[in-house]
Amino acid sequence: MIAAAVFDQVVKTYPTGFLGRGPGVPALRGVSLTVPAGGAFALLGPNRAGKTTLVKLLLSLAEPTSGSITRLSGPLGDRRTLGRIGYMHENHAFPRYLSAGELLAFYGGLSGVPSAQLPAKVESLLTRVGLADRKSEPIARFSKGMVQRLGLAQALINDPDLLILDEPTEGLDLNGRLLLRQIVREFKAAKKTVLLVSHVLPEVEELCDTVAVLVAGKLVHNGPLDVLLRSGPTGEKRSLETVLKPLYEREVTP
Amino acid sequence: MTDIPSAIRTVRWMVRDTFRQSLASKLFWVMLSITALCTVFCLGMTVDTPGERPRHPDEIKDRLPAGFDPRAEDEGIPESGGTMSLGFGLFEFKVPKFKTDAVRFFQVWLAGILADTIGVLLALLWTAGFLPTFLEPAAITVLLAKPAPRWSLLVGKYLGVVLFVALHATLFVAGTWLATGISTGVWDGAYWLAVPLLVVSFAVFYAFSAFLAVVSRSTVVAIFGTLLFWLLCWSMNVTRHHIVGTDVQGLTATSSFLVESGYWVLPKPFDMSGLFFEVMHAGDYAMLHEELAAVKAKNAFHPGTSILTSLLFAVVMLSLAAYEFRKTDY
Repeated sequence: MIAAAVFDQVVKTYPTGFLGRGPGVPALRGVSLTVPAGGAFALLGPNRAGKTTLVKLLLSLAEPTSGSITRLSGPLGDRRTLGRIGYMHENHAFPRYLSAGELLAFYGGLSGVPSAQLPAKVESLLTRVGLADRKSEPIARFSKGMVQRLGLAQALINDPDLLILDEPTEGLDLNGRLLLRQIVREFKAAKKTVLLVSHVLPEVEELCDTVAVLVAGKLVHNGPLDVLLRSGPTGEKRSLETVLKPLYEREVTP
Repeated sequence: MTDIPSAIRTVRWMVRDTFRQSLASKLFWVMLSITALCTVFCLGMTVDTPGERPRHPDEIKDRLPAGFDPRAEDEGIPESGGTMSLGFGLFEFKVPKFKTDAVRFFQVWLAGILADTIGVLLALLWTAGFLPTFLEPAAITVLLAKPAPRWSLLVGKYLGVVLFVALHATLFVAGTWLATGISTGVWDGAYWLAVPLLVVSFAVFYAFSAFLAVVSRSTVVAIFGTLLFWLLCWSMNVTRHHIVGTDVQGLTATSSFLVESGYWVLPKPFDMSGLFFEVMHAGDYAMLHEELAAVKAKNAFHPGTSILTSLLFAVVMLSLAAYEFRKTDY
């Protein structure tokens, strides 16, 4: 199986105390997980389960305490693979002094998009996310939903092979959510990968093929969504909410 | 893995972004207004040197108090000074007796003392918030997820701020040089050395500010830490020159070693001004700082080495900041 990301016995403990000499806060406790290439993969779990930490490790925003991670078939140390990833997260704090067009050009430039292609890309992405008429407006005047749309546009600026969406629908209106779903479907059709971290379960049911569930930093489930939905004693298909409730409440031994 | 083209591209984009940020913060216009105000003041400058004449072979230096040198009376060497008015007669003060010296005297005060202390400190104060704001986790996570080496993001931001200040230093020196030249007819090219002097002064202390910003992520710490550090460096610089220049007795070997090492390790703001004084021949027409005159007399003033070691300090600070930034979890 070709993998978009492979986590092998990954442990992450955030340091605490003076000079990090405290006991530390464990966020991931030996997670081994493969995100298959092509398709939509959901990362689920209750709050403080370690989902965002896993994403941060994959994006080199933090370093694992132990274990190894492979990103698009390359080691984490090779930052060039980040050029094939798009990342959108829930709390964007974009520079408020930039306009929407300037922001996309800035992130596109940093992502390695050739300067000659930038104006056309910026134009088409702003049209795609419904902000073409606000291109020259400072972000300071944007609503939360508009900032989220801009966040989606910046995640797509480099035509990524792997799109990571961390709570992407937060603040998005109905049209925004529909657009996001459409983009995920297009990625799947193009055999590209989407890694979705979300608490909006109907969306996960509708879009994702594979699901991993983290609870208290441990992986408690990893497999096709359909298998999870039929995991009850009768084998009947149940809602994701019903299936996840006992998993979320499961006691996890450290 | 270091990807040089990616690092260069990142630095370029970060410099561009910093200029955009400064424009949006109105800082660009505030600094430009100060330059414009100084230029107007210089345009309205008049110099009156009634004793203007060819220089006497044994000219009595302006910095000596009138009547101090008996040759003035014995040999009839004129020692009268001139007057200068600024801002179309708004301010008037006494200046050296030759017009060229009078203009240099004014330029030394303007660039070597006012801009190099108050100007640099204000620039440090105004730009101190750029890095902590940039380093806030919510603002930087998307940037860190781009294929740019982390150190190049920090170095790009640092260079952006330094280039921004360099642009303003150039505009300030160019504006005041032109205005002074137009109003007095004295066109002294040495005054242009103020540009690198101001830029190096700022760059050295901004590297320390960058280090504080990365470690603390706090604008308040970056501002007060840098201002206190400037004061420490200035004091260390003057103290060392005082000890060396005036042969202070009773110091233990340890104290001498500590002062000498502190002097060579830390940036030397006083020496940077001293280099400008030298280029502007300030010793001929103005009273040099006592400590500076003393170390010069003892041949213990090495401005070139001072600047090189100050720059080395900046490189070390920036490297430490980049190292800390590289290993920080966001």
